[in-house]
Amino acid sequence: MREPIVRIARRLEPSPEMVFLVSVGSVIFAFLVSGFLFSFLGIFPTEAYRVFLNGAFGSFYALSETIKRMIPLALIGAGLSVSFQASVWNIGAEGQMLIGAIVGAWVALFSHLPSPLLLPAMFILGFLGGAFWGVFAAWCRNKLAINEIITTLMLNYVAANLVLYLILGPWKGKTVRGFAYTDPFPKEAWLATLGATRIPLATLLLAIIAVFVCYLILTKTTLGFELRVVGRGEKAARLAGINIGRVVSFVMFLSGGLAGIAGVGEVSGIHHMLRHPAHISLGYGFTGVIVAWIARANPLGVLASSFLFGALMSGGDALKVSFGIPFQVIYILNGLVLLFLIASDQLLYYRIIFRHGHQDTREEDYGGVVD
Amino acid sequence: MGSLISGIIGRTLAYSVPLLLATLGEIYVERAGVLNLGIEGMMSLGALVAFAVAFSFSNPWFGVVAGGMAAGGAALLHALCSITLRANQVVSGLSLGMLGMGISGVLGRNFEGKVLGATLPVYRMPFLSSLPGFEKHNVFVYLSLGLAVFLWFVLFRTRWGIVIRSVGENPAACDAMGINVSTVRYTCVVFGGVLAGLAGAYLSLGYRPSWSYGMTGGIGWLSIALTIFAFWNPLWGLVGAYLFGLLYQLSFRFQAHVSPELLNTLPYVFPLIALSFVSRLAARKRIGPPASLGVPYKRE
Amino acid sequence: MKRLVVALLICAVFLWFVVSGNAEEGKLKVGFIYVGPVGDFGWSYAHDQARQIVEATYPWIETVYVEAVPEGEVEGVIDRLINQEGVDIVVTTSFGFMDGTLAAAQRYPDKIFFHCSGFKRAPNMATYMADFHQVYYLNGIIAGALTKTNKLGYVGAFPIPELKRHINAFTLGARRVNPNAQVLVRWLQTSWYDPAGAKEAAESLIAEGADVLAFTEDSPTVVQVAAEHGLPSFGHYSPMYKFAPDFVVSGQLVHWEAIYLDFFAKVYAGLYTSKNLENVDYWWLLREGAVELGADFGMPINPVFEERLKSTIVNDPVYGEISVYDLVFALLKAMADPEYAFSPFTGPIRDRKGNLRVPEGVRLTMDELITMEWAAEGIVGAWPGEPE
Repeated sequence: MREPIVRIARRLEPSPEMVFLVSVGSVIFAFLVSGFLFSFLGIFPTEAYRVFLNGAFGSFYALSETIKRMIPLALIGAGLSVSFQASVWNIGAEGQMLIGAIVGAWVALFSHLPSPLLLPAMFILGFLGGAFWGVFAAWCRNKLAINEIITTLMLNYVAANLVLYLILGPWKGKTVRGFAYTDPFPKEAWLATLGATRIPLATLLLAIIAVFVCYLILTKTTLGFELRVVGRGEKAARLAGINIGRVVSFVMFLSGGLAGIAGVGEVSGIHHMLRHPAHISLGYGFTGVIVAWIARANPLGVLASSFLFGALMSGGDALKVSFGIPFQVIYILNGLVLLFLIASDQLLYYRIIFRHGHQDTREEDYGGVVD
Repeated sequence: MGSLISGIIGRTLAYSVPLLLATLGEIYVERAGVLNLGIEGMMSLGALVAFAVAFSFSNPWFGVVAGGMAAGGAALLHALCSITLRANQVVSGLSLGMLGMGISGVLGRNFEGKVLGATLPVYRMPFLSSLPGFEKHNVFVYLSLGLAVFLWFVLFRTRWGIVIRSVGENPAACDAMGINVSTVRYTCVVFGGVLAGLAGAYLSLGYRPSWSYGMTGGIGWLSIALTIFAFWNPLWGLVGAYLFGLLYQLSFRFQAHVSPELLNTLPYVFPLIALSFVSRLAARKRIGPPASLGVPYKRE
Repeated sequence: MKRLVVALLICAVFLWFVVSGNAEEGKLKVGFIYVGPVGDFGWSYAHDQARQIVEATYPWIETVYVEAVPEGEVEGVIDRLINQEGVDIVVTTSFGFMDGTLAAAQRYPDKIFFHCSGFKRAPNMATYMADFHQVYYLNGIIAGALTKTNKLGYVGAFPIPELKRHINAFTLGARRVNPNAQVLVRWLQTSWYDPAGAKEAAESLIAEGADVLAFTEDSPTVVQVAAEHGLPSFGHYSPMYKFAPDFVVSGQLVHWEAIYLDFFAKVYAGLYTSKNLENVDYWWLLREGAVELGADFGMPINPVFEERLKSTIVNDPVYGEISVYDLVFALLKAMADPEYAFSPFTGPIRDRKGNLRVPEGVRLTMDELITMEWAAEGIVGAWPGEPE
């Protein structure tokens, strides 16, 4: 076979500094490119950068808003990174989060539990609710051979309609003048916030715990080993005697449950009621997919990537407030950051080789997914 | 009763067009082994560009061409990332979706609320118009219907179809046989983008002739689910799109008798139920996703 | 590892370069918070049009706005408006912003808050609403006169009291001139903006025989669908005349600026302060000029339909033999009267289950209007939350 003019060859394992530097570099590069966008909108780019950075990191308040946005992303991202390690494509975190919110709202409004039990019950049942929504998709895959992408995607719509049904029907609040909301939760079901910020302390801790638990599951347990084997290919896993159905159920249980916790955290920490699904989920489920990928499906990396996307959201708010820009500018910004991160991935692992001279034998050709 | 049925069929045909077009495109993309989750964004971009061009030139056909090309160009970006750069296709698709929604939202501000002078024409087809529900329709209705059959034929009855399917199943073997895997994949991804763009053009020039952000309303996401529902077969894609459209129709027709919220979930639940019956059968007949779906190809 | 630390340090130094912004002195600065994008041609668009008018009218005012704010994020956006932009007045334009606005009002007792369509107030938080029920009543009269099938179609976004009140008013109006008129209702129950749903809902209404359409959804879709079928329709919120000049009969138009101009002027004059807003609640209607009947501004009835409405004579219980055209303007005048001479919700009114909802001679109060759940006689279709 003829040698192509341009060839891409794999580098040896890149160093952590390099990964970090290249990732940061690509984010900065994305921002430089978005300068054109800001100029197009009539904003001086450096002014936009200043407002953005200020709005995401520039003060204690800005940082707190970034962390507030980061929490649901970290919870969802941690679970999804486990599921992606097993090559289970759960894109239904959006719906699992809403189910968590529904269950949490039910406990808060109708369970009449005494106050010390109320919040723990909301989180435990919310976890189970989200996990149930996830396991249902796993069951469809195991028993009915339906791809989890279709089930999780469709179940997002079902969950959203369920929320709508509840807030327009049986759960419609007595104190909201007929609008489509539930009554506000009793104060006992509100999460305490950290100092003067709006960061719900409990979910912040839960998010950090979730990240480390997911990391330990992946690296220190047999189950973690098994699910990584399943992720490498079902054939090999079957040969190794691994129960694939069990692994799929487990990762859907975990990732669905963590999304459910994120949902409880949003309703009891921020909304204090159940409201229109689009205002609860805010695309966290889909952004969670990206967060997990940027972290290379490594739960510890999720801490960094969810922080990055939390910053993009809260810095984006600052841009909206200062310049009255169309809100879709934030999407473009996110898209550019992602695009350059994807491209930088190639910088890390590959080298472009032009056909002339000899081939460096220390480089191996690469033919699979980057993990 | 007759007019009720023909009314429901007619509306189903009209409503399902963008869903069908996008699904057909995604079927070809995935058959070639690439997953593109950015359909919603490409469709939105196609809708805006189609509207903007049709508005500026007062000619809807210019708009159709431009909308298809714009979305095809966007798909090229995904092709570059996922085929040449071998990036993760889920993420590349999601970022394409974000960019598409974002760019169409920002550039589209000046076109919101504008009135289109000339919209896509409505035709009576000589033979078809005697069927209930087919009385007269936008040209895209016939086009998408014919396209589904044609694309099925190409995929399963021609050499091109064999090449596309083989590239999705076993790219290494194709490569060994002298087929250029990248070219096939690039072509299919761009083709899928063009169809998504045409779906958008139909929305902004025919179905509801105007542009506003969010008018794609999740159709792109549904088409991803329908692609799997269709077992990557254009004819089943046709069935799936029309089934969804029919259920959507019924959700409005029977609202007076059944709870609207329940009816609203039907279009999403029913495909799952239908799938649960057929998928076991399909699994036995070994109809699964293309074996190399989502896996970048590199010569060993 | 050392290089990693250096890299982190560089990042930290980079971040230190940020400095804070400053607000312009001497002007009253107002921040508007919208729930949707300003280009959506519905609710948020109308508020933003008003904001622009306010800024053009009062040289002493400066405005900023934030669009597409999720309901749960409103507190954060208020914080940023106050701390980052230094606004003095925050205007929040969605019911869902209510609790967040109230919490912010308590946190910033010196700032003034103005919340649309809610009912919670504070010493520094007033509320306002411009309501359409009178205009819908007039639209109903016109629709009742235009229909040949005696079926009017209505596409509603969500079954909440505001829409129920409007549909009831529309129905009462239609049946005033056409006792056989029915109003067929379809709900979207997805979003305030759902063009595909609005299109299919409108099509299904037409298929059931509706030949005049009205709606509540943030796009001109229903108007376009009606025009495709050659049927008359009524615009909603924004002037929709241009989308179908031959078919848009009339519609409801809002003038939020009427309320804003009044409120801001009183704040500027020192009449309203952050101490005395506890009972300030604008509920503005036709007489205050907050709403307008029309297919377009200044066009109460599309001239295309003028002849038809003038030649349709009805026997009205109050005005006797009168053309529908004259009846509409007579009632418009009565409702714009400072004495509030006429209300569409004057008894006797029965709901469709036969219960007497408004006794003879009684007029519904504002509280009764904004909590309305029942469906008037003549309404056909699902009505979630309908009382027994």
